[in-house]
Amino acid sequence: MNYLYFLYIEFLTRHNIPKLFGDITFYFIPFCVIAAALLVVVLILVLAERKLLGFFTQRKGPNRVGFWGIMQTVADAFKLLCKENITPDKVDVFLFNLAPILVFIPMFAALGIIPYSAEFTFVNTQTNVILYLILAAFPILSIFLAGWASNNKYSLFGAMRSIAQVLSYELPITFVVLSIAVLASSLNLTGITYAQFSKWGIAGWFIFPCILGFIIMFISILAELNRCPFDLPEAESELVCGYNTEYSGMRFAIFYLTEYSMMFANAMFISILFLGGYLSPFGKYLFSSSFLIYFEQAFWLFLKAGILIFIMIWIRATLPRLASFDLLKFSWTVLLPLSILNLFIAVLIKMGGALC
Amino acid sequence: MNWSEFERVFNDCELDGSKIIIKSKLHEVIKFVTDNYTYNVLKEIIANDIGGGETELIYHLYSVDDEEDLFISINVAGEAESIVDIFKSALPDENEIYDLFGIKFIGHEDLKRLYMPEDWKGFPLRKDYVQDDTRLAWNDDNNA
Amino acid sequence: MTTTTLKLNLGPQHPSTHGVLRLLLELKGEKILSCEPDIGYLHRGMEKMAEKMTYLQYLPTVDRIDYLAGFFYSELLCRIVEKAMEVELPDKVRAIRVMLLELNRIASHLLWVGAFLMDLGAVSPFFYVFREREMILRFFEKLTGQRMMYNYFVFGGVRRDIDFLDGVEEIISILPKKIDDYEKIITENPIFLRRTVGKGILEPEIAFNYAITGVNLRASGVDYDYRNSDDLYRGFDFRTVVLEEKDSWARYKARISEMRECVNIVGQALDYLKRAGVLEQRLINPLNLKLPAGDYYSEIEAPRGLACCYVRSDGGEKPYRLKWRTGSYYSVNLLRKLLVGEYLNDAVAIAGSLDIILPEVDK
Repeated sequence: MNYLYFLYIEFLTRHNIPKLFGDITFYFIPFCVIAAALLVVVLILVLAERKLLGFFTQRKGPNRVGFWGIMQTVADAFKLLCKENITPDKVDVFLFNLAPILVFIPMFAALGIIPYSAEFTFVNTQTNVILYLILAAFPILSIFLAGWASNNKYSLFGAMRSIAQVLSYELPITFVVLSIAVLASSLNLTGITYAQFSKWGIAGWFIFPCILGFIIMFISILAELNRCPFDLPEAESELVCGYNTEYSGMRFAIFYLTEYSMMFANAMFISILFLGGYLSPFGKYLFSSSFLIYFEQAFWLFLKAGILIFIMIWIRATLPRLASFDLLKFSWTVLLPLSILNLFIAVLIKMGGALC
Repeated sequence: MNWSEFERVFNDCELDGSKIIIKSKLHEVIKFVTDNYTYNVLKEIIANDIGGGETELIYHLYSVDDEEDLFISINVAGEAESIVDIFKSALPDENEIYDLFGIKFIGHEDLKRLYMPEDWKGFPLRKDYVQDDTRLAWNDDNNA
Repeated sequence: MTTTTLKLNLGPQHPSTHGVLRLLLELKGEKILSCEPDIGYLHRGMEKMAEKMTYLQYLPTVDRIDYLAGFFYSELLCRIVEKAMEVELPDKVRAIRVMLLELNRIASHLLWVGAFLMDLGAVSPFFYVFREREMILRFFEKLTGQRMMYNYFVFGGVRRDIDFLDGVEEIISILPKKIDDYEKIITENPIFLRRTVGKGILEPEIAFNYAITGVNLRASGVDYDYRNSDDLYRGFDFRTVVLEEKDSWARYKARISEMRECVNIVGQALDYLKRAGVLEQRLINPLNLKLPAGDYYSEIEAPRGLACCYVRSDGGEKPYRLKWRTGSYYSVNLLRKLLVGEYLNDAVAIAGSLDIILPEVDK
């Protein structure tokens, strides 16, 4: 970030603008960048999901709007923007409107603390892994708000299931993150990335000592994202649309946006913990100029996240939904013990490394 | 089934092909038939408006083991005994007959309009049903 | 301590009720305490219509009773008239009818597999089955000019001869492989097994009491298939699929196995049709068709259970009374019993496994 900061200040001084102005405005830039990038990313993700689902089910997917259907999601987003915001009778209007706002903010903040490359970390605190975990679990509150405020039984069921699901899957995630923190001796996402650096590229990644943790993490993240096969909160065959049944127009679009950007953020989070984050898989970078390397690093991170998202979509196309009982049982009786075991393995590896 | 045995118990009946025509004691007859023979499925209940305010109910019983059909027919006027306690499948059938023929089944706890709207006047499959707009429920003024 | 229960209105416009079924559920948490089906949203008065129409006028409408298996209901009505007029069907007509009925059954079961998996939350099989169903519907369209409402069977025979059988040959050569594919993606899937094995157990006694027929009954271990005593299927060699598991999984597996059996029957019919000469049939003149006074009754093994047609004729050109029995009508009633004590998401799966289709229920 310092690099960017100096670049910005240098740019300002060249145009005779006082440094104080730069100090104040600099911290707004990342959020503008995130906001702009987010929309693009979500549009691409939605299109990718629809195209891939089409591919998996031997259809074409969207193919009419724009070349190869690339404008389809733009058209959909535009439609959602133009739609009337219906507030049903007898909802708790304040909470009903608050929920989409609350769901949006933590997601925004979570994207702010991800290290996209060695220099592009907008907010870098010492323990931002924990901060990320909190932010990633935060949307559940607004989902519950939405379900409660909607005054709809289906929404309430969706919200109820959502809470139960996140509560039970948050624990395995925390234990796995703990084991990574032990291996990396750091609670900082950049620190964890550095700890995975090795001359041989992928050899240093934590996925190898922690393959068990990776699998647990991936499953739990699927559950936390309400993705298939854990999409019970919005199981359309039972609960119509779950917590966002009553939402329409822009409010619905925000839920949708959050869902996909959380998917993206969580995929990046897993990549950082297990797949070396922005590090190149070859151990050395393709570009030599330090400025271009930053972009290459971001590219590697996005590629890794993209592969994970592809797997998520693949799973969605393949698996049926779990039953709610099995879902909780699976977390408490399988994932939780395994994640503790994974923590032990990580500690043993760390101790072994220290002894050698 | 053993016709002579049946006739001995219920003397008020006659046999017409595979159809037994009884005059009364519907519940008892069905109970007797299911208890003493292997008829274990009530395939359907057919209702016919035979005029004169009377409706013929035909109970189509089937024995899965013997692969044998049995039709029991009874003429009723407005009311009939329900056999829901013997065959649960009679529940929708009797309900349908109530809806379309207006036969009240005594012992059926949940008789309601099934196909027709709640406030529909008349029973469409009766021969005296007037298919006329003035009979429609939303045209109440013409239909005092 | 007082506990309150929650009344949930599942339907009539709900994604998983396959039409306009309304289930009034009483829930405690997600557990179902009672279920009351409410039907009649799709009532078209098929029985009343029959009393106002001649047999010829009525024939095209009966396909609409079950839009996924229209042939079966035309066959029922044709059979009534043939029985009344004492017409014996020539072998070639029988072969054509059996072939079309079984293809129709495959199409219906295929759609069910997709819809059932959709209820369980898997999206892909739905599209896969539509791909195969499309082949069958293409053939039907080529033959009858219609994809769903065929109006192809006429009193005493069929509307036109089949002079192209390539489509059918393709279907029966491809379909078994595709069914293997479905089994690969579905049958051994652990999540699918968790959601179906042991869920919605239907004991034979309950099935009898609720007049459940067809695949649902055979999946409960009862060997009852009307095709065995059906004159139309005389000379065809097929096996009745009977499974002992009694649960949702058995109902799924029974349908999958029955599709394979249907392919076998279609193959036999196809072999016959290839050898058979030109169609020679003695059609009943449908104009001024008057059935002799009396009661007529016909039954057929439709995809969703036993379907029956009862006609009372007073010797006129319109039926005095016509009554349909459809399989789904009784399956809906079974929900009262089967869903009690289940959880909401299992309930949807169990209701889906019974293969309820609403036009058939409401008639």
